[in-house]
Amino acid sequence: MTAITAVGAYTPRFRISAAAFEEAWGHFRAAGISEKTVPAADEDALTMGYEAATRALEAAELAGGEVDWLAFATSTPPVAEADLTARLGAMLAVSESATRHVFTGSTRAGTRAISAGMDAIDANAAEATALVVTADAPMGHPDGELDHAAGAGAAALVLEPDGPAHITDRAEFAQPYPGTRFRNTGDDETQGLGVTQYDRRAFTQTIGGAVAELERERDPDVAVVQAPDGKLPYRAAGAAGVDTDAIRAAATVHELGDLGAASVPASLAAALAAGTESILAVSYGSGAGADAFALETAGDVPARIDLDGDATLSYAEYLRQRGVVTTGPPSGGGAYVSVPSWQRSIPQRYRLEAGRCPDCGALSFPPAGACNDCGTLDAAEPVELAGTGTVEAVTTISQGGAPPEFAPHQSRSGDYAAAIVALDAAANDRNGDGDGNRNETADANTNAETATLRTVSVPAMGTDAAPDAFAVGDRVETTIRRIYTQEGVTRYGFKIRPQTP
Amino acid sequence: MRDAYLVGAGQSAYGAFPEESYRSLFRTAFDAAVDSVPDEFDADEIDEAFIGTLGVGGRQLGLSGPAVTEHVGLDGVPCTRVENACAASGFAVRQAVQAVKSGMADVALAGGFEVMTDMSSDATKYWLGVSGETEWERLSGTTFSGVYAQMASAHMNEYGTTREQLSRVAVKNHANGAKNPHAQLGFECSLEDAQSAPVVADPLNLYHCCPTSDGAACALIVSEDVVDDYTDDPIRVAGVGAGSDSVGLFQRDTYTGVPASRRAAETAYEMADIDPADLDFAEVHDCFAIAELLAYEDLGFCEPGEAGDLIESGATELGGDLPVNTSGGLKSKGHPIGATGAGQVVEAFKQLSGKAGERQVETPTRGLTHNVGGSGGAAVVHVFERQQEVSAR
Repeated sequence: MTAITAVGAYTPRFRISAAAFEEAWGHFRAAGISEKTVPAADEDALTMGYEAATRALEAAELAGGEVDWLAFATSTPPVAEADLTARLGAMLAVSESATRHVFTGSTRAGTRAISAGMDAIDANAAEATALVVTADAPMGHPDGELDHAAGAGAAALVLEPDGPAHITDRAEFAQPYPGTRFRNTGDDETQGLGVTQYDRRAFTQTIGGAVAELERERDPDVAVVQAPDGKLPYRAAGAAGVDTDAIRAAATVHELGDLGAASVPASLAAALAAGTESILAVSYGSGAGADAFALETAGDVPARIDLDGDATLSYAEYLRQRGVVTTGPPSGGGAYVSVPSWQRSIPQRYRLEAGRCPDCGALSFPPAGACNDCGTLDAAEPVELAGTGTVEAVTTISQGGAPPEFAPHQSRSGDYAAAIVALDAAANDRNGDGDGNRNETADANTNAETATLRTVSVPAMGTDAAPDAFAVGDRVETTIRRIYTQEGVTRYGFKIRPQTP
Repeated sequence: MRDAYLVGAGQSAYGAFPEESYRSLFRTAFDAAVDSVPDEFDADEIDEAFIGTLGVGGRQLGLSGPAVTEHVGLDGVPCTRVENACAASGFAVRQAVQAVKSGMADVALAGGFEVMTDMSSDATKYWLGVSGETEWERLSGTTFSGVYAQMASAHMNEYGTTREQLSRVAVKNHANGAKNPHAQLGFECSLEDAQSAPVVADPLNLYHCCPTSDGAACALIVSEDVVDDYTDDPIRVAGVGAGSDSVGLFQRDTYTGVPASRRAAETAYEMADIDPADLDFAEVHDCFAIAELLAYEDLGFCEPGEAGDLIESGATELGGDLPVNTSGGLKSKGHPIGATGAGQVVEAFKQLSGKAGERQVETPTRGLTHNVGGSGGAAVVHVFERQQEVSAR
């Protein structure tokens, strides 16, 4: 038996309305969607997956190291070949020997990952903790139905043998339907032939096929159905054997748009967080196939669901954020860091690994070279920082102020904040580890001296808020975003945003 | 140790010169320096040369020192390229002074050059950007304008320094540069202009940032044993000081000052046995307006936090108690990276020789030059003293 023991969900802060598309194009092609989410210029499926996963782990009160099995599912991986679970796992501090899987190639990837997680738990019995991370940001031709519907978001589910939400049954079904939604190798834009009746038949037949394979008679409180737009899920009501109200009760597509491989997981997470008792969840992947799950809950599912937006974009801003109308980076630049150098610094970029001086106790970042405080060359002890801090100095980088590598980011996202932040030591490491050399009461008698024990200064770019939301003295938290792409390799690392209350 | 003297200094104009090469610009500066020596000076008498350049603009050429000394006929003279970012030729001057004081050379050439305007702005940002802390500071999306803007934010937050005070630095330095025929931006600007320019990195706008420039400058440093051969009115290198620090701002002890500058100034004042109050003028490193205000405090012209008041008081204007950047500074005169430190010495020489024209400070005895590399990873300070004036007092 498998249970969902915690859920997390995330959408980017940006929203665009159907009305903005109508103003730009004279029409809006995505039926049943009034507003949708838009990924920021520094976001992709990997960073959104990280956001959802940290929320799920937080809700579960689990550390990354407790995860035995990790899956990442998306139809829009930022790279077509390269194991993104290595990076995702490092961002989450999942053990290097944990089992990892990538699921892609279909909007059904998210539910395939859930199904595989169930298999893993069945196989490993009592000890297993699986983390399923799903994220997507579909993209189509700017005047296509698919792009108009395309949203962005992520959901993560913790699966364990027992817990408040049991997956009581599952089934799957596939039939060949070429020419429905597809993306050819090498293309960025997903497309479809747009043969309406054919597409609709593929959708309802496969969903109906999967639901029919479920063993028990059922009448769920809500039905979570894959939502490529705001209309299609309701067409499958008959095939799924539910009424449209049950579908509407769990629908997120009307306000978030098409979340691709995260569509069913995100709506499922929201339904579980809302305390729904019985759920039918059924995904669809073009090509075509479907996965169906029956869930029964007994008790609250720990959840952290952040599906609200806080900034509305115009259509022009939408094109900029998505990089549709901006150019790539110029060659060469003052911020070039070789990939091997970057790789060596991943513990700092992903996990804020600082150093604590074995002699004086001062924190250092990056933990390399002589101690900034006492000058000792003794190797610092690695310590993880808390991921919160205080702005010490800050600027807003405007036109002409960005290193060339960041020019594409700036042309997409606009001016950005760049700050120096005093990051806090982790709560369990506020005063060092109690080494006798550190006579804290005697030596730490001035603010300046204790400051180096409790905080360490790092430079960081602002994100998730307008640049003027960062001022000296403000509290901030870190997250992980795309820093830049050079030589075809995207460098991910921490940025800062205003601290969530 | 022997005393060292400044007997000549000259520079090319600073600006954008597509018809000139780095060698021809250096030739212009070298000739001007040789011509400025009061008595006869033969280039054959040069024992050693130290040449500052960040890398011949973005070319990153090796042996770029000998490449220019050879061009002015100094074949065979030992030449060393000195690289300390924007403080390259300030440190070249210091090397020349050390060579003379130690007794290894009687006549040393210190110079610097840069060609910055012949590359795209992106390419320029590349080689300028690499003078900073790349892996973390640049990766947070800053170039030097951003780092100095962060220092400005900290200074404004701690001391209440205002944007208007930053703009007053530009107004003053442009007023001085308008009197300097070698200045790149030799025009006056109003306080309104300097407050309403487009923002580069808040709070810094375009008028708070120096330009990119082509140019070269040279200085001739000689020992006490030979100084009488060149002048009857010797200018002594009374004090030399230098300091270094973390290259990245975030690793320094303070963001509201430049510790390397403080150390350099303290050392130079101690050697010269003077206080800041004994200075008659100063050329300070004003790559950004906030940098000049920080220099006031780091060099002891005022207490920490009072630089905004000092610029507002007019004390650092031409005609004030302590005129600062009579040449126009980096802001108006220009900032051809490798030439800047030696170029500051050119202004000191002109002022102390009474040859500063319209911007002449009245019979100065002592002047200071202050040259900073990057955002404070290195700094060097010199104090020059006119011996006749010292003796007369």
